[in-house]
Amino acid sequence: MKITRVRFLALSLGLLTLAAGAYAHHGSANYETDKSITVKGVATGFDFVNPHVQIFWEAKDDAGTVQKWQGELTSPNRLTRVGWTKSTIKSGDTITISGYPTKSGAREIWIQKVVMGSGEELPTGGGN
Amino acid sequence: MRNRVGTFLFAALAGVALSSALPAQTGQQGGSAKPAAASAPAPEHDLSGVWNMHAPPAQRRFFGNTYTAEPPEMTPWGTEKYNAAKPSNGPRTHSLKETDDPVLRQCLPPGTPRIYLQPFPFQIVRTPKEIVMIFEYDHTVRQIFMDGRPHPEDITASYMGHSIGKWDGDTLVVDTVGFNEKTWLDRDGHPHSDQLHVVERFHRLDRDNMTMDLTMEDPKALAKPWKSTLYFQLKPDWDIMELACTDNGAFEDFEK
Repeated sequence: MKITRVRFLALSLGLLTLAAGAYAHHGSANYETDKSITVKGVATGFDFVNPHVQIFWEAKDDAGTVQKWQGELTSPNRLTRVGWTKSTIKSGDTITISGYPTKSGAREIWIQKVVMGSGEELPTGGGN
Repeated sequence: MRNRVGTFLFAALAGVALSSALPAQTGQQGGSAKPAAASAPAPEHDLSGVWNMHAPPAQRRFFGNTYTAEPPEMTPWGTEKYNAAKPSNGPRTHSLKETDDPVLRQCLPPGTPRIYLQPFPFQIVRTPKEIVMIFEYDHTVRQIFMDGRPHPEDITASYMGHSIGKWDGDTLVVDTVGFNEKTWLDRDGHPHSDQLHVVERFHRLDRDNMTMDLTMEDPKALAKPWKSTLYFQLKPDWDIMELACTDNGAFEDFEK
């Protein structure tokens, strides 16, 4: 997969340890930026568009019911610079998404970390 | 597998070199960023290329939104406008639907120097009579006239201001006036008036590193000049891409 040949400059040594919202096109009002949530599931959609790349996926809750989840990343301009393309995530891919949960309790994440089924972690901060 | 480990190690070492070479900065004017590894000498009087802001570690806490750790001293007029603003970025965050940030909802041009805070690169292009700055953010353009002209007597106000530049030794000094009052100074909601006067001093340290000493003066909004230093890295492999602010509209309903 193309992403494996990318130099993971974005991951190294906290170069992307930023205050919440620092590199978002808008702020963090919708999210609890002092909490963390991780959800593993199966991708159902991937919109590689401005202003924010969006991932949609399904995951089973504790009762075994399939729930729909969505999450936002930074601009595709920034992700392109660390190796992403519009084909990086495909429907059916197993993905583990971590990030900030919503204040509303909605099943939505401001994504900080993406791990593919292979165990590969994708850089999410974007070129800097 | 070995390739990826090696690649990660390279990136990690580059990261160490970069972050340790940049001195701690408080965002105050003065001081210079030292380049991380061996670069090449700066071409003379030439700032051409694609540049990306690269704040040193001490600035990263606030450089998504503003220029200094300490807020600027504002006049009563400035303070009143600041208190009334509903930014989305920064500590007083509002949602996309509630914010009155002119950039986010109305897609107005960000103004100078706020355009530097939009987290995307820009390209500097030289022509015989001007330096053109093409910002990836909403394809915003600044023209810096280098032909010796003064600011017009009867200036027409604009979002980005009227910019004239000249070389002072190896420093490009850019003087900008003629602003309308429809933009913010930063993403935190600090205001400016039509009396805003921006001076930028660009210095290309070597091929890959450039600093800009920034001074904002506005007797109506700021009680005293507001100064900072911005740091930029050359990105020879990057092209300016498209990013249209109008796409924000389709995203407004995404966050629940």
